[in-house]
Amino acid sequence: MKANPRDVRTGTYYMDGDIAAGYGALAAGCRFIGGYPITPSTEAAESFARIAPQSGAVFVQMEDELASVASIMGASWSGVKTMTITSGPGYSLMMEAIGLGAMMEAPFVILNIQRGGPSTGVPTKTGQADMMQSRWGSHGDYEVIAISPDSPQELFDFMIKAFNLAEKYRCPVMVMSDECVGHMSEKVVVPPAEEIELEPRRIYTGPKEEYLPFKPDQDLVPKMVKAGDGYNLYVSGASHDERGYPIIYQKGKNQSDSTARRLVDKIRLNADKIIELHEEKLDDAEVVVVSYGITSRVAVRGIELARKKGIKVGKLRLVTVWPFPDQRISELAAKVKAFVVPEINYGQVVYDVERCSHGEANVVLVPHGGAGVHDPEDILEAIEYAATEKKKIRKVIIRKTRLEKKVFGGGLK
Amino acid sequence: MNPIITAFANGIKKSGIELSKIVVVSDIPFDPEIIKELGIDFFHTTRGRAIAFGTGLKLGNPELKVVAFIGDLMTIGGNHLVHSGRRNMEMLVICVNNFVYKEIAGTPSPSVTTGFSAFSTFEKPFNAPHLANSCGAVFTARWTALHTNDLTNSIAYALPKPGFSVIEVLSPGPNFYQDINKIESELLNFYFQNSITKNKEDTRNVEITADEKIITGEFTDKKKTTFIDSYNAQLGKILGDKFIPLGGQNE
Repeated sequence: MKANPRDVRTGTYYMDGDIAAGYGALAAGCRFIGGYPITPSTEAAESFARIAPQSGAVFVQMEDELASVASIMGASWSGVKTMTITSGPGYSLMMEAIGLGAMMEAPFVILNIQRGGPSTGVPTKTGQADMMQSRWGSHGDYEVIAISPDSPQELFDFMIKAFNLAEKYRCPVMVMSDECVGHMSEKVVVPPAEEIELEPRRIYTGPKEEYLPFKPDQDLVPKMVKAGDGYNLYVSGASHDERGYPIIYQKGKNQSDSTARRLVDKIRLNADKIIELHEEKLDDAEVVVVSYGITSRVAVRGIELARKKGIKVGKLRLVTVWPFPDQRISELAAKVKAFVVPEINYGQVVYDVERCSHGEANVVLVPHGGAGVHDPEDILEAIEYAATEKKKIRKVIIRKTRLEKKVFGGGLK
Repeated sequence: MNPIITAFANGIKKSGIELSKIVVVSDIPFDPEIIKELGIDFFHTTRGRAIAFGTGLKLGNPELKVVAFIGDLMTIGGNHLVHSGRRNMEMLVICVNNFVYKEIAGTPSPSVTTGFSAFSTFEKPFNAPHLANSCGAVFTARWTALHTNDLTNSIAYALPKPGFSVIEVLSPGPNFYQDINKIESELLNFYFQNSITKNKEDTRNVEITADEKIITGEFTDKKKTTFIDSYNAQLGKILGDKFIPLGGQNE
């Protein structure tokens, strides 16, 4: 299915990432955004709100983030593509409902322009510290998809990617950008509508009386209908059977009938199809820099500097952060010396890299406290260390940035 | 709960609205078992979010008639009540008020009048119809669950009425509350017997107190531009021909 030309503002622009995200959402066919303004994501909402009414789409500034995320799930079940836009504290407020979204299998997208935390943190500057919250933020077992763009162009492109993934797997999809990409202005090319491929909703077309809203297809994802089409839907946040009826009331049913198993499996078992990685110079690499979002751009310079010094270092960029590429990291761990993981947090995704390296390769974290990005020299320093360390160190090795050493004097010893 | 659902079913029938266009949204405390029998779409959301979820349903497909059955209207869902009233979001809210958190432990809700519950609640209660009226609801009413005919009529009237309508229904919460307060049985009947109907009463006068009769009736009934109409008018004025109105050419 191609994008509707009415929704696509084809052209070449110089715009910031937030604005590009608004354009991307509309091009992806988004028809409803319920949002609550929060720095540094507000421009994305503004950009959508400006262009949406000409496409019959609507942005509503809801009363809070709780309403925002609840409203988009309602809109999703009414048959339209929906998303919300937020950052930091707003993202925290949405967590409860994200579990409901996973349970109701409502396709929707959340754009998180990450900022420094915790709490108010550094609201106007960048951070990457919501990564684990994306995965585990709501209570109970479920899986989400999280992708991380590194440029305004990708904020446009990844909105479309996110909506496609949401429709395909019927789960919450997070676009985990950050203030740096959101507020960075660059060239953004919006292609013609016929070049934008959209994933249509998995609509049920069989006999009405045979429809079971939560009966999965072979890939574990059920087909959907719209509210108001006379299917007598029963859609609940409670663990339910294929009809949607809560199992708690049903005799002889137990946890093995729970939907949670399938909610987890539909992402884990389809992980190979979902995961997208960008790999560079990995053929001869002894050290692999694993990064995502803005940090993957900064890492490029660190890798260049290290290559100039003759260090065999390659780049693995997590376009998809969740589900995590367990298999690929494990494969690499068996043949490389070490992973270097720069993140704008004090260690989140790095622990998954460590988990998947099974003690075979050293794992070096280059943490950054936020409100800025890494100095490539710090990544270079970590690469140099990783390339020369001969011992197998069975824990995450932390290489502080020079800034951190200066500020904290090397930390508590 | 069952008399309320019966009144709801009869109200729908009386209103003449097509069953498939009605979508019921509720939040956690609302017991949904019986709703399965009605043959309408039903969404059971998180505590307090029924109105917000319903807002999305309505704006995603303006043809739908959204009905929100809510327990936690004035607590965790309070902000959605306030703002949906202000926006005049097209929706019928049926607030099932049993004065307690029935499914939790019977702790008093903010609608319970002073003097009830284990240590005699000292907090002041909300007056639901007055709160809804103040927020901008175009229709407010209060009935007990035994006012089946009146409730049916109010639902039939409010369902097609454009705008945000709130009907409060007093219903027993048969867990802890009734033992504590020595109201051993027939709580339903107790409400019914102790009520007096005063239609068109100023909502300021309908607060429920321990020593006066409960005032039931249809209180507010006014006309106001709905959210969707206001949105279409405003954007149409600014964007002219370029504007595609909500509920217009949406695919």
